Amino acid sequence: MTVTYLPVPGSDLPPTTPAFDVEQILASIDTMAAQRPVAAQIVSVANSDDTSAKALALILAGDVALASRVMKLANSAYFGMRGRVASLQFAVTVVGFTTVRTMATVALANLDDESRLPEDFWESTTSLALAASTLAPRFGERPQDALCLGLLAQMGAALLHHNDPEGYAEIVAAEPTFTGRRAAEVRRYGLSSLRLTSVALEQWGFPHSMTLPLKSVDDYTSMEGGLLRGAFEVASRLTTEDYEPVPIVRLTCGQLREDDLVPILDQVRADADELRRAMLGETPDDPEADPEDWIV
Amino acid sequence: MSASISVPDGDYVPSEIVSTVFYSATVSDSLALVVAETVGGTQRLTWGNEGAVQLLGYGLDDLRSLPVEQLFPTLGGGELKLLLRRERAARMTLPVRTASGAVLETEVMTTPAPSGRMWTLRIISTANEQERALRATADAHERRFSALTERSPVPTLLSEQGMRLAHVNDAFCSLVGLRAEQLLGTGWINTIHEDDLDGVIEQVAAALDGDEVETQARLVRDDGTVRTTVIRFAHLFTPGVGAGFVGTIEDITDRLAFETKLAHQANHDPLTGLPNRTLLAQYVAERFHPGTSGLACLFLDLDNFKVVNDSLGHTAGDELLVEVADRLRATVRPGDLVARFGGDEFVVVCEHVDEEDAVALAGRVSIALARPMRLGGVDIRPYASVGVTVQTAEHEAADELIRDCDIAMYQAKAGGKGRVTVLDQQARAEARDKLRLVADLRDAIERREITLYYQPIFGIDDHEPVAVESLARWNHPERGPISPATFIPLAEESGLIAALGLLVLEETCRQLAEWDHLLGDVTVGRANVNVSALQLDDNLHGHVAAALARHGLDASRISIEITESALMKDPESARQVLQQLRDLGVQLAIDDFGTGYSSLAYLRHLPVDCLKVDRSFVAELADGHAEIASAVIALARNLNLSTVAEGVETAEQAEELSRLGANFLQGFMLAKPMTGGHIAAWYAARGETSR
Repeated sequence: MTVTYLPVPGSDLPPTTPAFDVEQILASIDTMAAQRPVAAQIVSVANSDDTSAKALALILAGDVALASRVMKLANSAYFGMRGRVASLQFAVTVVGFTTVRTMATVALANLDDESRLPEDFWESTTSLALAASTLAPRFGERPQDALCLGLLAQMGAALLHHNDPEGYAEIVAAEPTFTGRRAAEVRRYGLSSLRLTSVALEQWGFPHSMTLPLKSVDDYTSMEGGLLRGAFEVASRLTTEDYEPVPIVRLTCGQLREDDLVPILDQVRADADELRRAMLGETPDDPEADPEDWIV
Repeated sequence: MSASISVPDGDYVPSEIVSTVFYSATVSDSLALVVAETVGGTQRLTWGNEGAVQLLGYGLDDLRSLPVEQLFPTLGGGELKLLLRRERAARMTLPVRTASGAVLETEVMTTPAPSGRMWTLRIISTANEQERALRATADAHERRFSALTERSPVPTLLSEQGMRLAHVNDAFCSLVGLRAEQLLGTGWINTIHEDDLDGVIEQVAAALDGDEVETQARLVRDDGTVRTTVIRFAHLFTPGVGAGFVGTIEDITDRLAFETKLAHQANHDPLTGLPNRTLLAQYVAERFHPGTSGLACLFLDLDNFKVVNDSLGHTAGDELLVEVADRLRATVRPGDLVARFGGDEFVVVCEHVDEEDAVALAGRVSIALARPMRLGGVDIRPYASVGVTVQTAEHEAADELIRDCDIAMYQAKAGGKGRVTVLDQQARAEARDKLRLVADLRDAIERREITLYYQPIFGIDDHEPVAVESLARWNHPERGPISPATFIPLAEESGLIAALGLLVLEETCRQLAEWDHLLGDVTVGRANVNVSALQLDDNLHGHVAAALARHGLDASRISIEITESALMKDPESARQVLQQLRDLGVQLAIDDFGTGYSSLAYLRHLPVDCLKVDRSFVAELADGHAEIASAVIALARNLNLSTVAEGVETAEQAEELSRLGANFLQGFMLAKPMTGGHIAAWYAARGETSR
């Protein structure tokens, strides 16, 4: 594949001195892994070809919070199982290994602690993830992988926010759109949050297919980037106030028309809240949250 | 393998680089290795191996001063430091720009030296020919697979995770009338009938767990119509991803409808649409509990239906039956069953009624049926005879209830048509007794317990025996001797007459052969065998011929006796059967002549040899009434037929018959019926005497 590099707006200006060292952020990921060893273990084994639901469930049972989230997600409307998932092993089967891995990554990067995240992080992330998943078949991608990509895409933003709360809050306040925000990130940190996400995911051994769209999002000729751009557009229309829509045809290499978006917007709007609660482990209606029962 | 290390003059190559290089170089031939260093705030390449020179297309000298940024065009801004990290190794998938300006897809692994200012970079091209070929093969497989499922007429689902679909084919879309986008993900769940959804999810759970399962489920189409389907789920496992399923759907709606139709046809009468006898039996059996009461059956038989059929035609007959069925349905209570039992017979079954209710219903039915209807231009009133039975403690099985109301209906018919009759216990006992007797008779025939007696027939002049008549006798083990007047009609009613007739024919022939053997010259000349009206068919002459052949007898040794009434049931076909027998060479006699209503015109055309004057006319002789006997004998003479007078009891009768011109006599006075053995002794004794 030939990638024509299109510089993001403003990147031709000499980068200002980064406010802090990106290397530190990347190093901090290792520290986080040490704090959540179960999540770290799942991240490292979940994509190996000989992983089984049984093996993953056994590891997962060691982290009650994470296990309960996987259970909740498996029983959510998104997977359509109507509360039939009673064992952790079956929950892993239902949501899939990549999703389990994604949830472990979320835990690892402390994305489940809303106090440490940019404002409305999960609202936009769940919309982004559901949009990516819904659009995926149009781009020949697996919806499940696209869901995970959407869930993790903004991890870089969370890391930037965590390490530079004030600076990042300024960016968020000044740039309501994702595109504008990415340009501002490059100006301030020398790289965009999506790029940072891709580096982190590469470091954790996520497959190339998952990091490529993150790198290609600003390459308007790239189909991989097109899926993510389309998903960002859907998320923006749903979550950004006074958002000025960008024609979807242009964003998605002609794969989507405005008409196609109507049912997708409805579906994403309908499912986003449930997915958010499952990801954050909010279980007000789940009194049986004892992971011991789930281990098979 | 070749790996050359060129060391810049005066420069010292750190040992870890050397070891890395050697380690890596030994792992792969095609490995491109370069070393990068931070020089004056920017990172530049300071060294490259042969593989790097070949892969990147730069001369070694050019390579040595190349800024790292130039090699990786996508790493703009501060991103280079993501690759060249001070404290740890990094791995990235990156495009690399070669000397010619072309961009290669590569995987780059960097290892920092402890100083944090120098890195080894291993560059592996990911876009080599082999990989491309593999990818092309995989793509082709994928395309073939999707073409297969897309064009398959079998509706197919492919789950990605849980109940979420990644793929549906056109056949499934058209089955439910929706587009693929509406079905992917969890959209397809909305097409499953609410009541079947739990079952489907359960089977999906089993399939995800590794089983192959199937379930029946209704799918609700876009237009609201419902299709019944069988969904088969097969487990699908993708290493490193997880479990899904392949679902194939078979639409069994039409098949089920057809089966239902077949089942309906098997249990219903096509003409009236009423349940048939099979369903009736099933229905009553389901509701019959021995020792309880409240169940009642009405058996209806239309009076004179045959007249309608014969005079107005079968179409009118059918029309009448349909009208009767409609009237019955309209008259019975909701919940009562109306069934067509067969022909012009109907049965109504009601629950929770006593005898009074049942009789009242029968009355209402009779009145409803008797309303005039116009059929083929004629007004007719379809009267029916109705038999009523209410379940009693004596009923042990469901079929007894129907049988009893059948009996009651016959009682109603016998008492004059258009009546309602409740089965009385006496009739019930008699009917049951008759049933038992039929069973015993069947056994008796099978075990050859029906024995034959033979009564000699004498010439009128010389009083010499010319023949014997075979007479069947049944000595019941419990009831003693049963009269032929009882068991012959019973055999005719119960379909046993053919077997009984064959038994008599066969045994008579066997006995004749035995007599021939025992008596020689003085043997019995001929035996007369009685044949029932029901035996008068095309098979009769074959049976007779076979029996004669089996025992080596001439056809003249047998005479077949047929009653006058049997001949008159269907004179034309009777004539044909008689002709066949005549052609065979056997003699033919008309039994009980004068008691029926023979058309003399037919009699003239019948190929018979003899008339038997009925015993009642012979008995009248004693009272001085010789008119009929005289007329019969005269008639026979005029038609060139011989006559046998039956039931001759006195010498006076014999004398009178001789005077009237009868040819042969038969009766108790002359000789009683005897067993085969006695006949042999009797003939032998007479032979001795006559010698």
